Amino acid sequence: MFRSRVENITAPSANFQDYALCTTLHSNLVAAALDSVHADKHLVVLDVGMAMAATVNFFSQFKSKLFFFDLYSEAFVTEISEDISHQELVSLFRQALNIPDNCIIDICLFWDFFNYLDGTLIKAFIEALQPYVAEHTRGFGLGSLNSRCQLPNSCYGLMANDTLTQCPRSDEQRPVYPHSQRDLKGYLDYFEINKSRLMSDGRVEYLITRCNGSQLVKKPIF
Amino acid sequence: MFNFKKDSDTSRSALNKSSRGSSETLKRASVSIGGKTMIGPTVVIDGNITSAEDLVVEGKVSGTITATGHEITVGEAGQLKANISAKIVRIEGKVEGDISAGEKVIISKSGDVLGNIDAPRVNLEDGAKFKGSIEMNPEEKPDIKAVPSAKADLFPSAATSEKSNVS
Repeated sequence: MFRSRVENITAPSANFQDYALCTTLHSNLVAAALDSVHADKHLVVLDVGMAMAATVNFFSQFKSKLFFFDLYSEAFVTEISEDISHQELVSLFRQALNIPDNCIIDICLFWDFFNYLDGTLIKAFIEALQPYVAEHTRGFGLGSLNSRCQLPNSCYGLMANDTLTQCPRSDEQRPVYPHSQRDLKGYLDYFEINKSRLMSDGRVEYLITRCNGSQLVKKPIF
Repeated sequence: MFNFKKDSDTSRSALNKSSRGSSETLKRASVSIGGKTMIGPTVVIDGNITSAEDLVVEGKVSGTITATGHEITVGEAGQLKANISAKIVRIEGKVEGDISAGEKVIISKSGDVLGNIDAPRVNLEDGAKFKGSIEMNPEEKPDIKAVPSAKADLFPSAATSEKSNVS
């Protein structure tokens, strides 16, 4: 279970406004998403959120390539147009991702990005990501259990294999589209929610794997 | 395009061509302090810079900057649309371009980088803005405890997570 600590982890050089309120979060599932981490293996990591010092520091001990794109702030995500087609959205996501051809992602750090997308955008995002996903690719996400749960306007980083950092975003909270786990599973197409854990505040953490590609034991979630 | 070599006579003429400032401004455009050459905040350079010593850039540069075996610092006032290559690259200002370092790249809290970084080590300070990719290849292998050869030891929470789904 996630538990938020009141421990203040502000670095001396941190921007006071954004980082003074950073907290650490314990995660039970992020370790499973890091299953492909190995000292001799070159890792490819996609982080759809803001580049955080903790994440760079964590992966700096490994041969790795990290992609940071902060898709939260992309205009086509924040200003949803009714006229845009699915294929146009897929194309916009591919442009925003800007991942080289033939690059395969080992770990996708989705954080709570899905909560800021409606179903149409999630489907387009997942399709845009497909060329870069293999059977072993794993993802980690955060969500809300139901529409009554509040989502903090935060960015996240990876501090250790069982610890995240959560910091407030400096920009305004954007509209939230809380998805039930059942709905989210429907949007994820070739991905599936392999495991989930409830947080004390009503949020959920997800381990996301390829459908039929995981060797993990899958059990009922709720 | 030109090469700015601080230790050669051609550098001053090259700088004069690009900075387009008054003679007084040009005198202050580039100064060498303590073995570091500084490109001042009023200087605008469109071209390639090659330096055989440490370089501090507070001006605007478009093109490339190369300082093999040396350190390049982009100061808080620096605005680059340039690829950078050096031993150590320190970013305190704004950079659009790819960065390659033989030793490490440091992006300070005031730094704003859009591009791709390739270096053995990268240090991103809290507050720094970065969009792009970071390729890291540390020389030292991580502690064996951080290698998931024994998954249960490394990720005890992962081992327990397979026992139950909701806690």
